[in-house]
Amino acid sequence: MTKLGIMSFAHMHAYSYAASIKQLDGVELATIWDDDAARGKTVAAQYGVPFHADLNAFLKSDVEGVIICSENIKHRAMTEAAANAGKWILCEKPLATTIGDAQAMVDLCKSKGVGLGTAFPCRHVPTLMAVKVEIADGKYGQIYAATCTNNGSFPGGWFADEAQSGGGATMDHTVHVADALRWMLGREFTQVYCECDNLIRHGIGTDDVGSLHLEMEGGIKITHVASWNRAKSFPTWGDVTMEIIGEKGVVTVDAFNQKINLYNDEAMKTQWVGFGDNSDFGLVRDFANSIRERRDPAASGVDGLRAVEVTVAAYKSAKRKARVTV
Amino acid sequence: MRLGIIGCGVLGRFHAPMAVKAGFQIVACTDPVRANANVLAAEHNAVVVDDALALCALDIVDVVAICTPTHVHAQIVVAAAQNGKHIFCEKPFCRTLPQCEEALAAVKKAGVKLFVGHVVRYFQEFCAIKHQIDDGKVGKPGFVRTFRGGQSPLGEGSWFRDFDKSGGVTLDCIIHDFDWLRYVFGDPDRVFAQDLRERIDEGIDYAMVTLRFKSGLIATVTGSWAHPSGFKVKAEVCGDKGMITYDSSEAPIASQLRGAGGTTPGVVLPASPVADSPYYLEWKDFHGWLEGKHTPRVTPEDAVWAVRMGLGAIESAETGQPVSF
Repeated sequence: MTKLGIMSFAHMHAYSYAASIKQLDGVELATIWDDDAARGKTVAAQYGVPFHADLNAFLKSDVEGVIICSENIKHRAMTEAAANAGKWILCEKPLATTIGDAQAMVDLCKSKGVGLGTAFPCRHVPTLMAVKVEIADGKYGQIYAATCTNNGSFPGGWFADEAQSGGGATMDHTVHVADALRWMLGREFTQVYCECDNLIRHGIGTDDVGSLHLEMEGGIKITHVASWNRAKSFPTWGDVTMEIIGEKGVVTVDAFNQKINLYNDEAMKTQWVGFGDNSDFGLVRDFANSIRERRDPAASGVDGLRAVEVTVAAYKSAKRKARVTV
Repeated sequence: MRLGIIGCGVLGRFHAPMAVKAGFQIVACTDPVRANANVLAAEHNAVVVDDALALCALDIVDVVAICTPTHVHAQIVVAAAQNGKHIFCEKPFCRTLPQCEEALAAVKKAGVKLFVGHVVRYFQEFCAIKHQIDDGKVGKPGFVRTFRGGQSPLGEGSWFRDFDKSGGVTLDCIIHDFDWLRYVFGDPDRVFAQDLRERIDEGIDYAMVTLRFKSGLIATVTGSWAHPSGFKVKAEVCGDKGMITYDSSEAPIASQLRGAGGTTPGVVLPASPVADSPYYLEWKDFHGWLEGKHTPRVTPEDAVWAVRMGLGAIESAETGQPVSF
């Protein structure tokens, strides 16, 4: 049994990770710490586990690994505390809001001999895994270009407070696809151009739409839309999609398009109910295995850093109105 | 209104019945492939002449329809204008901006009417999208995404595969979206683009374009001549009160043919029939303008703007930097 703890429930994904840990064999949600004590106590009661208000006490507990789900800006401090306590770490994405923070997290975990992972569940989504295998098998030949999206609904709260999130939709919704492309194509990003702004829900304080043009090693050309542009009445939270253009053909993947349509008179909007596998199961399982095997999780701290580099370059490009080098 | 068709290939033959339905009489045809001109002329009891210049000089012709490769549009527009003919020109108006200016100057000097076939303005699905936007149903639009394309048009050796002639998928195909976006959302401020024009010889081009409009709106336009088969159009509009999505592959009719008689097995052919083809509607609009009933939905300046947007995208893809308008 691998004992895991969760640090902060500021990010809503924490609830899904907690639920996943509770449902999986071989892992145990042992304890919770949260800098918002009221929230921490509530969720600890909900999942039936002890709550620690004191970080030191939490880190002295016998959890072997921690999942950090704080506001983006706090990822570094929490990672440092956990690494110094010798814990294995899975950090919510984006790993950090600056390259300096992300690099410091990677360096410290390496020097302390603890594994650091970035929560990129796309690596555990069967549809994306299948396309990755097909690309590797040469089904589409050489890859020339890709058009991608990671759209979402507006998450609200601290996500649109730059002081806590480091940025808006471009910060939040670029890294999943950036990591998935690096993982599927085995190339690094070289160039970024980005147009982003607050265009949908006015006055939220950050951008809510970003249109990125990326280039990867070998000249692969990519566009990506990172957004919180989904209407409240849209049938689901959003999407991860890719259209990949290759020498031998084209493959499109709508990663979460495994759904039934629900028409419920009380909701008064069509809802898509997913039936695909829960990718958080894969994420949590891999994290537990990484602790047992004394390795980094599938998407490591370095992978998180690479995605942060793309996001930082995107904001730099948007500010300068020019393409920039990653 | 007596019409001469210049270029009796796929589009010339397609436009002919639309023009007739709108009230034109086809009286002359020309095509470098004489057989093409002969077939169309026979259907309409029209004469066949050697070339575009000869057709423009015919007294029996009031209006010409230019359905030729893009790179020769300008010279034919000039010849038609100098002969006092009104002009229907397929999009894109011209291959370069100097050509646009020269052609437009000739049109203005001659006092003839020029209509460029930006037919997406007449497509019912795009009219429906515009109507909902104008009606405030999505609030203030902030983001738009479109896709248009599929298989590379015609085959090996086609002029479409000569970038200098066609301008690739950017100038030939998604110029439709550029025009429609400007029609609905106003003038653009700048453009950034990437494309695969280096593969156009192989029958592959793919353009990925981001436009920033003066209103602040961001539009992402994708155009494909990179798909092994098919053609589809998608559009998405996001505003502060809602969204619109459209996908042509969700068509009301989908047929699938068995692989007999030279057809490709398993190809789904979607269809979405409407009583009035948007191509007929553009001809009707042009006809009404010629009769002095109204001004057309597409002005010559609109057509120049669409070329400017396409060429801006092409330049950006070359330089790797945004291009301002």
